Amino acid sequence: MEKINIICVDDEREVLDAVVHDLDYFRDLFNIEACESAFECLELLEELDAQQEHVAVLISDHVMPEKSGVELLTEVALDNRFLGTKKLLLTGLATQADTIKAINNAKLDNFLEKVWDPQELLQTVKELLTEYIVEKGLDYEEYIEKLDAPTLYRLIKY
Amino acid sequence: MKKIQLKYILPIVIPLFILLLPVTSFGIAQMTLVEQRIIAIFVMATLCWILEPIPIYATSVLIIVLELLLVSDKGLWFTQVASPDLGHLISYQMIMATFASPIIMLFLGGFFLAIAATKYRLDVNLARVLLKPFGRNPKFVMLGLMIITAIFSMFMSNTATTAMMLSILTPVIALFSKKDLGRVAFALSVPVAANIGGIGTPIGTPPNAVALKYLTAENSISFAGWMAFGVPFVVVMLFIAWLLLTTLFPATIKEINLNIKGRFLKTPKAITVYITFVVTILLWLMGGVHGMNAYVVAMIPVAVFSMFKIITKEDLKKISWDVLWLVSGGIALGVGLDKSGFAANAINAIPFADFHPLLLIVGASVLCLLMANFMSHTASANLLLPLVAALGASMHSLLPYGGEVVLILAVTFAASLGMSLPISTPPNALAYASGHVETKQMAKVGIALGIIGLLITYAMLYLLNKISFIG
Repeated sequence: MEKINIICVDDEREVLDAVVHDLDYFRDLFNIEACESAFECLELLEELDAQQEHVAVLISDHVMPEKSGVELLTEVALDNRFLGTKKLLLTGLATQADTIKAINNAKLDNFLEKVWDPQELLQTVKELLTEYIVEKGLDYEEYIEKLDAPTLYRLIKY
Repeated sequence: MKKIQLKYILPIVIPLFILLLPVTSFGIAQMTLVEQRIIAIFVMATLCWILEPIPIYATSVLIIVLELLLVSDKGLWFTQVASPDLGHLISYQMIMATFASPIIMLFLGGFFLAIAATKYRLDVNLARVLLKPFGRNPKFVMLGLMIITAIFSMFMSNTATTAMMLSILTPVIALFSKKDLGRVAFALSVPVAANIGGIGTPIGTPPNAVALKYLTAENSISFAGWMAFGVPFVVVMLFIAWLLLTTLFPATIKEINLNIKGRFLKTPKAITVYITFVVTILLWLMGGVHGMNAYVVAMIPVAVFSMFKIITKEDLKKISWDVLWLVSGGIALGVGLDKSGFAANAINAIPFADFHPLLLIVGASVLCLLMANFMSHTASANLLLPLVAALGASMHSLLPYGGEVVLILAVTFAASLGMSLPISTPPNALAYASGHVETKQMAKVGIALGIIGLLITYAMLYLLNKISFIG
């Protein structure tokens, strides 16, 4: 079974823990990584790429010191090694200019507002994860219990 | 942890052990080294397909490559050292040709039709039109869904059909109350119909194609010939499945409204797809008139869709090469067993002739049904069909019951009837993922349909033999 990662990035430890906690559902089949800054996340991405592990979903806060979430996601969007990675911005404090950048440059797959509804976050990640797995041609049957069935029905064509 | 290890160790150690045994230890007179290697490959394939340490199509590729290395006339040098026990090396061309055998081409043609139909929304639009006459009564809507699923799965892959129909169905099931058992019936109706529908044509499901490989010469069955008994079988089974589902899981909801959006595309390309689709099927059905067999006809859509850029370079990549290779490996396994002379030798050595032929038919098909419930339908067919084909050809006591054709068809049908668990088939796994069905409920329906299906298969084969359609 391939190693598939879900990465969460937030500079506030409590918020980060809360996100990770809400994604507990995926823990037995997927690896959930927590990063406290964009730089930590980029380092982790290097490591995961070296191990040839999958990065299926990247969930990031926007307002962080040194490097913002949109900057991080833009970098990832332009990086050929992470072409299929689904990007989710989780923020309460994004200006219109940030949002425009996030859509145009970071090519977001989803945008959730803080404070988030845990159910909604879970469902969103489920759908993004399912899309990633089908698009990458991974064996969806191995992960099927944690995936979103309607998304599977929509994407499986052949 | 131990179990995981075994899954990797067994498929390596046991075949190696077989290879290292002295030839005389098998108890078969005049056994050759080539035959011994074929046994080792066969055992490895069996273990790999059951335990799945590697993907099932990879096992197929491995079979072909190992045959090339160990038993071909262009294999590794030490495998070719002359010795009185060596036996017949198989031509490497024959082994490689399994990748492009006519059966693979038939399936390729089927894939082209299916991809074009999906791309130009022929499938969804047909479903929309065909579902209309079934009204809104849940019982009849379900019957309609099952009929359409079955028809589609005769020409498309069972998995793709299931995914498409479930995507139509999901918003409807969501309206059912949590307690309404109708949810279960609807969610199960689609995979059940897809599994059953696949039996209807030679291209409906890979096991049928594998069977065609062994139905040659005087036993050959044409496309239309297969449908002549396959479709009635599907109709009867669908009706029984429908009765079973509506009785076991009655819906309390009074009305159902399936809302499928869209209209038929009318671009030149779409019309080319419609025409090619109809013409290909007609040519398949009228095999006797124009002289082309099903394999040759299957190449027509491949040429037409490529010419008109209906299937583009990108679409080509979406062809399920894994399914084609899975079947190739099965064919290669059959070629190995046959051309090495092992199949004939082993059957002479084991006194099968003493068994009652009916016992053999029932035994082989029940074994296949059991296997198909726990592993891939195609892999089950790949393993059992070469054995029963060789056995059937040599058993004269089978003749009054229709000969090897009966045995082959019984096993082939049994392979498609394995549908009692979420792991039995991808359609089952997809339906289970909807969250509306419990394993227990799926097992109840699947086991009942498996047993009923086998009984109907026997009855059908008996009738076919009586009217001299086969045998």
